[in-house]
Amino acid sequence: MTDRKTALDKTALVISRRKLLAGAALIAAPALLRTDLALAETRKDVVLVNFGGAAMKAFDEAYVQPFAAQGGRIVLDGSGALNGKILTMVQSGNVTWDICDGGITTLAELNPRNALEKIDYGIVDKTKVPAEFAYENGVVNYMFSSVMAWDTAKVKDTPTLADFFDLKKYPGRRMMRKDSQAMMELCLIADGVPLDKLYPLDTKRAFEKMATIKKELLYWNSGAESQSLMRDGECVMGLLWHTRANVLKAETKGRIAYSFKDGLLQPGLWVVPKGNPAGAEAFRAIASMQQPEGQVKLLAAMGNGPANPAAQSLVPADLRQTNPGDPANVAVQAKINAAWYIENHSKTFQAYLDFISS
Amino acid sequence: MRALLSRIASTETSPATDVAGALRPPSPRRLHGAMRYWLLIMPALLLMLAFYLYPIGRVLWISVTEPKPGLDNFALLATSASIHKMLVTTARISILTTVITLVLAYLVAYTLVHSGERGKRWMLLGVIVPLWISVLVRAFAWFILLRREGLINNVLIASGIIDSPLSLIWNETGVVIGMVHYMLPFGILPIYANMNDIDQRCVAAARGLGATRGAAFRKVFLPLSMPGVIGAGILVFVFSLGFFVTPALLGGGKTLMIAEYIKVQILEIVRWGVGTMLAATLLVVIGLLLAILGRIIDLRKLFGSV
Repeated sequence: MTDRKTALDKTALVISRRKLLAGAALIAAPALLRTDLALAETRKDVVLVNFGGAAMKAFDEAYVQPFAAQGGRIVLDGSGALNGKILTMVQSGNVTWDICDGGITTLAELNPRNALEKIDYGIVDKTKVPAEFAYENGVVNYMFSSVMAWDTAKVKDTPTLADFFDLKKYPGRRMMRKDSQAMMELCLIADGVPLDKLYPLDTKRAFEKMATIKKELLYWNSGAESQSLMRDGECVMGLLWHTRANVLKAETKGRIAYSFKDGLLQPGLWVVPKGNPAGAEAFRAIASMQQPEGQVKLLAAMGNGPANPAAQSLVPADLRQTNPGDPANVAVQAKINAAWYIENHSKTFQAYLDFISS
Repeated sequence: MRALLSRIASTETSPATDVAGALRPPSPRRLHGAMRYWLLIMPALLLMLAFYLYPIGRVLWISVTEPKPGLDNFALLATSASIHKMLVTTARISILTTVITLVLAYLVAYTLVHSGERGKRWMLLGVIVPLWISVLVRAFAWFILLRREGLINNVLIASGIIDSPLSLIWNETGVVIGMVHYMLPFGILPIYANMNDIDQRCVAAARGLGATRGAAFRKVFLPLSMPGVIGAGILVFVFSLGFFVTPALLGGGKTLMIAEYIKVQILEIVRWGVGTMLAATLLVVIGLLLAILGRIIDLRKLFGSV
C-alpha cells in the first residue's frame, strides 16, 4: 500500500514537472514567434456568426486562417444571426456577436431600430467593394443571385424568365422563395420591366403577375428545401439562389440547369451589432476578409461571389460562369436597391405571406 | 408532458395523489404535515416563478408596450385581415385534425381495451414508439410517401385506380395527414386510460336487460367514455394550435398558421408587439379551453392522478 502510494506520488511529481515544462514552452513560444506580444494580448477575439453547415469549414479556410496569420482571431458561430436575435442582444445590453452574416433585410429592419454599428470606413476599405453595396451600417461580404433553374427532362430548350409564367408553354409546378425579396423583382422583370427601371417596385403589378400561375406555385423556406423540390422532380422550374442551383446542376449531372439571365444580384452583408464586444477589432477582421484570395476560395467552396472587384482576375476560368459578380453575368442581371427595402420590406413581406396563404 | 402521458397509460395510482391531498384545506391536526409538503415543492415553485412566469410576463408586457404603450396590438385582432385569415386557417386545421384524430384514436383505444394482455402490450408499444421519432423525420417520411411520384401515387396509378397523381401534399390535406399522425398518441392514451376505468359489467348488464350490442354501446359505453374523449380532444386541439414544423414542411409554404406567423413577426420583420400579442392571445385561448375542460371532467384524473 505504502509502496503504491509512493509510486503514485512519483508519477504525480513527474507529471507536474512535465506540465511545468510544457507550460513554460507555451508561454515562451508566442514571444519567440512574435515580437508584438503586447499588441497580441490586447487584441480581442472576434465572434463571427454565419448560418453554419458547409460555411463553417469554408469560412475557416478563407477568412479565419488568414486573419490569424495577421495576429487576430476570428471565432465562428454557426447559429445564424436572424434579425430578432440580433435585436434581442442589443436591447438586453448583452451583445456577444461582433460580425453577422446578414443581408439587405437586416439593414431594412435593424437600422431603423438603431441596432447596428456604423461601418468604420477608416479601417474597412471602401475601394475594395462595389460602391453601390457599401452602406453606412453594412458592407458587402459576398455576392449572390436569385436565378431561375429548370428541369431539362421536362423543359425543352432554354426557357426565358417570361416562360416561368407561361403554363401553356411549360405546364407543371413551379417554386418561389417564401420571401418577397427578389421574388417581386423577378415577377416584374418577367412582366417586361427593364432591369434598370425596377425601383421603386410596383408590388401590385408583381402580385398580379404571380396570381397568373398561383395554382401551380410552391414556396420554399430553406435553401435545402429548394434543392429537394427540384432534385425530386416536384417542380419543373424554380426561382432560387444561384449557390443552390449550382449544387443542383453538379449533383444531377446537368439535369437541372440555371441561368443568370434576368436574375437579381444581391449582396450578402457584414453587419456589426451595436455595442459589439470586440469593438473596432471587428472592422479590422472585416478589412482582412476583403483580401481577394480568401474570397476566391469561398467561391470555389460555396459559390459565393467575391465582393472585391480585384478578385475577378484571380477567378479560374472554369469558375467564372458560376460567379454572380463576373462582368458577363452582372451585365444580364438587375441589382437590388437597399433604399427601397429600408422603406418597404416589412409591409411587402407581410403582404407576400398574406398573398401566398390566401 | 410526455412523462404525464405515459402515466396516463398506466392505471396505477401515482404519488401525485399525496401532493393533491396537501392542497385540500388542512385540518388543524395535519397542518404541520401539510406545511412540510409545501416546503417540499417550494424549490419547484420558485424555479417556475423565476424561469417561467417571469419571462412570460416580460413577453406579455411587450405586447402592450411595443411600439407604443396601449392596446393597439390587440386591436389588430379585430381589424387586420391578414391576422383574421391566419386565425381562421389555424382554427380550421386544428379542428379538422382534432376530429379526425379523435375518431381514429377512439377506434384504436376501443380495440386496445378489448384485447388480451399480450396483444395490448404490443399495441401500446406501437402507439408510443412514434412519440420518440422527431417531427422533422416524420414530415420527410410523409414527403416520400405523398409526393407526386411518391409511393402512394405510384401504387394507385400502377393499379389503375387513378389516372393522374392525387395532390396529397403541399396543401392542407398534407398538413392534416402529418398532424393527425403526430397527434394520434396524444388522442389514444387519454381515451384508453378512461376506457380502462369503465366497468365492463355495465355493458354486460345492459345486454342482460335486452339491449342490442349497438344500443349497449350507444347508451352505456359511449357516454361513459366521453370524459376521455373530451379530454383527449382538448389536449389534441391545444397542441394543434401551436404546430410549426409540419405545416411549414408539408403545406408547400401556403399554409400559414399562428406559430409560423409569430416566428416571422419576432425573428424576421421584428414587429415584436404583434408577435407577442398573438402569443398572449394563444395563451388566453388555451387557458380558457383548459378552464372549460376543468368544469367538464376531473383534470387531475386526466393527467394521471386518481
